[in-house]
Amino acid sequence: MNFLQKQLEDPVRFRLIKRGFYAGLVLVALAEIVLPLIFQGNESHFSFENFPAWGSVYGLISCVAIIVISKLIGKLWLMRREDYYDD
Amino acid sequence: MTIEWVHPGLLLIAGAWILPLLKGRIKRTAMVILPVAALVDCLLMTPGTYGVTNFLGQDLVFGRVDKLSLIFSYVFSLMSVLGMIYALHVDDNSQHVAALTYVGGALGVTFAGDFLSLYIFWELMAISSALLVLLRREAPAVAAGFRYLLVHIFGGLLLLAGILLHWSQTGSLAFGDMAAYSGGMAWGLILAAFLLNAAVPPLGAWLPDAYPEATVTGAVFMTAFTTKSAVYVLIRGYAGTELLVWLGAAMAIYGVVYAVLENDARRLLAYHIISQVGYMVCGVGIGTALATNGATAHAFAHILYKALLFMGAGAVLQMTGLRKLSEMGGLYKSMPITLGLYMIGGFAISAVPLFSGFVSKSMVVAAAGEDHRAAIFLMLTLASAGTFLHTGLKLPYYMFFGRDSGQSGKEPPANMLVAMGLAAVACIVIGVFPGILYAHLPNPVEFVPYTLQHVTSTLGMLAFTALGFFLLLKQLDPVPTVSLDTDWFYRRGAAWLSKLVRGPLSRLEYGFVGQIYESVIRQPVLGVANLFRKIDSFVVDSALVGVGRSTQNFSRVLRTAVSGNAQHYGLIMAAGILAMLLLAAFIK
Repeated sequence: MNFLQKQLEDPVRFRLIKRGFYAGLVLVALAEIVLPLIFQGNESHFSFENFPAWGSVYGLISCVAIIVISKLIGKLWLMRREDYYDD
Repeated sequence: MTIEWVHPGLLLIAGAWILPLLKGRIKRTAMVILPVAALVDCLLMTPGTYGVTNFLGQDLVFGRVDKLSLIFSYVFSLMSVLGMIYALHVDDNSQHVAALTYVGGALGVTFAGDFLSLYIFWELMAISSALLVLLRREAPAVAAGFRYLLVHIFGGLLLLAGILLHWSQTGSLAFGDMAAYSGGMAWGLILAAFLLNAAVPPLGAWLPDAYPEATVTGAVFMTAFTTKSAVYVLIRGYAGTELLVWLGAAMAIYGVVYAVLENDARRLLAYHIISQVGYMVCGVGIGTALATNGATAHAFAHILYKALLFMGAGAVLQMTGLRKLSEMGGLYKSMPITLGLYMIGGFAISAVPLFSGFVSKSMVVAAAGEDHRAAIFLMLTLASAGTFLHTGLKLPYYMFFGRDSGQSGKEPPANMLVAMGLAAVACIVIGVFPGILYAHLPNPVEFVPYTLQHVTSTLGMLAFTALGFFLLLKQLDPVPTVSLDTDWFYRRGAAWLSKLVRGPLSRLEYGFVGQIYESVIRQPVLGVANLFRKIDSFVVDSALVGVGRSTQNFSRVLRTAVSGNAQHYGLIMAAGILAMLLLAAFIK
């Protein structure tokens, strides 16, 4: 049993990892809002980059948009049976 | 006589033929020494023009050595070292010869200063890389290999046509910035050939079609050279072409969209090559000093982390025989080292701080920002989220974690792990010490990747992409399907074409064209022939028959005289003599 297995198969440790992940999310988003206020210095090229926690917000929007829109295009049009080209 | 300059490509192309003569340990040593020698050769080069030969009154330049060609030659030869180490266990000389020839071709393209030598190495790459697919020796691989070859022959013909047109118009074969000929036919043909090799849609479907079918070790080579040598020639000839900005950004998203739908592990990674090359093409299009530096740096970093990713997926394929995500899962128990090394590649492609993608991709995105291109900036950032979503999360999740498939593999052979380890080290070294890479970029530009805003916003983007992934995990479950791409046109479209030919077209042929033929050609010809036949039978035949008949009649008359009786003959002879005597008496 390797190290990873120990972490993932023990429900207590797995819950800890999950909580750690959520805590990390909050930390990252807060860092994005707070740190630029403490350390002055703006290297934004566009005004939308100054939106609070821009990276986090756009990351989430991008991720959801990519999954939903791609799946939609795939189901409506692009996806075919695996043997589509076989006959 | 001192040898001024040795072409590293020639070193590999010629050197490859030694391998089949060697065996065992010596052969494996030679397999590493050859690419290492090429790498050292490149590292020792100083800028200048070498290997100039005159051909048909044109100067062929085999050695244009400057900062741009040097950095590409470094990464190409470094990659060939890693690739050969990864392939050390493979007992198939043809594959090794093909792989080294392929790298040699890429180095030839890199150092080519004229179109003709560029074209020769371009075609050499197409043929040798097609072999890496064909040598898998399975029916789907052979079919995909032939499609790959046909597409690249088509691309090669576009290039040749463009070169010949350019030559006839300008009288020169020199390959340099093409901006002066912008919009011309030759400019367009050469650009199309370059874009085909860079896998820019709609000309790029050959890549996800062929790469997943190549041999485990061959695919690692293929990820590095064809698309990146195309990026190199685009930087050389087409920097600042506005069309490329939009094609590149669209391409970055296109690869991401297809990756959502993909079930084959290596095909998913192949779509991410297209996505990543999109950043480079976009950088070439923006064309500023920072942007071309970014395209170059990203090509360098990309070759190493993409090879690492393909090595990881290849190791899983080799050890478990599995290629579909829907059949994998739970492999983290049996292949933890492979997982760890793969994840380094995954972090590098996702541009996680301290990994190579972070210091290279951000140059292109920053160049879009400096150029005030908001839409491009947003498209590229969106594609970054998609990259992490698939290569950093979806693929490792379904391959190594997820639902336990009950499949278990072993770690791959040591040489494969060593190659992956070296690639991983390279990804981290570039990420931690970007100065090493930046010092060799073609343009002198100050760029600082590790700024507070850049690091925090990147981390935020990555973290919340991960959140989105886990929220929508159900949606992403891989389904066993294939996705339509522009290869449809020559895979299904061609079948439809042959149906069209056999159905309506053949009916048109026999019906309409056939009718016209009948009345315009066949009927008159038959009529004339009939006339001749009549002339033949009535005139010629009757003449012949007449001669025969008259001969017959004459001989019937003669027969009455020829009775076969000696007395009759004697009588006739006596009558004859009498007649002669009478004649003699009268004449006297």
